[in-house]
Amino acid sequence: MLRRGKEQAEGRLVHFDADRPAVEAAKRDPRRFEALYRKYVAQVYSFALYETRDHHAAQDVTSQVFLRALAGLPSFRERAEPPHSSFRVWLFQIARHTLSNERRRDRRHPVAPLDLAAGVPAAHDVERDVAARDELSRAWKAIEQLPADKRRALLLRFVGEMSASEIGAILGRSEGAVRVLIHRALRSVAQQLGRQRN
Amino acid sequence: MHLYEEDVLQADAYIDALLAARSGTPSLLPDAELQPRPPLRQLIELLADGLPRFHPSFLFEEQLATRLRSAAMGGRQDPADLVPGDVLKLPVSIGGGANMPAAALTLDRRLLVGGAIASGVSLAGAAMLAWRIRERGRIRRRWLA
Repeated sequence: MLRRGKEQAEGRLVHFDADRPAVEAAKRDPRRFEALYRKYVAQVYSFALYETRDHHAAQDVTSQVFLRALAGLPSFRERAEPPHSSFRVWLFQIARHTLSNERRRDRRHPVAPLDLAAGVPAAHDVERDVAARDELSRAWKAIEQLPADKRRALLLRFVGEMSASEIGAILGRSEGAVRVLIHRALRSVAQQLGRQRN
Repeated sequence: MHLYEEDVLQADAYIDALLAARSGTPSLLPDAELQPRPPLRQLIELLADGLPRFHPSFLFEEQLATRLRSAAMGGRQDPADLVPGDVLKLPVSIGGGANMPAAALTLDRRLLVGGAIASGVSLAGAAMLAWRIRERGRIRRRWLA
């Protein structure tokens, strides 16, 4: 009660979605959706590739996500109150559902591990580069063994560069729960790397 | 504050600082005593710096952009977007006979853009040849009669 009174007195910080002008433009004229597509295609594709570990499957998921987003754009509403919903959060919610459906469909198909080295730019210091790639490769193997929610939270945090609040809205958890989830995921990966080193 | 909660918040703040620094946003790393302990800190640095972002191929990105433009136009395809290899669905009506209404025979013909000119020339050539053979036969029949 006291807190609410204080918030009202100080004025509330309202989350502003940087995509709002582009979203409004696309709602008026769907051809303007292309700007949002260009901005997020790599992020969605990257997330899909980490999850599916297959370029073709990632392309398929990316196509579905953007076609669904275009079709559903008129019903999208930005929300300032928790759980926050910005365009990016909404897009990744679609991606998460699409990936869940894909996984259900392809459960019987084994997937090859993703070759992270292919996406890592080569450094000048070859020896250090090899060591870093090796360490990253082992870390990724440990991440791949994490439960889906922990793995997704890590990917959205480190690859998608999202905040705990955004990830919470995508995964349907509170901001605090996401922080704990990420911390536990990091600890279990660190422990596994430590065991391997010893 | 509970020690575990403190660890969680420290890790979160450290990730924020590293990601902000990577994206070029001015940011300060927390002081050494407020940073996560070494094994966790090293892992955070490794993941923040090392996990690559993948980009789809240019071809895929452009093809999907074309699909989205077409969907945005209500399924109509902008002729300016057509590239060799695209497939267009063309409705073709076949004139029915006496017992067959024309509307009953509307087929979707597919036209391969790029191959269209070559296919069109070949079809026109075949039709011309068929017409000439038929005409020659008709003239011969008229002669014999």
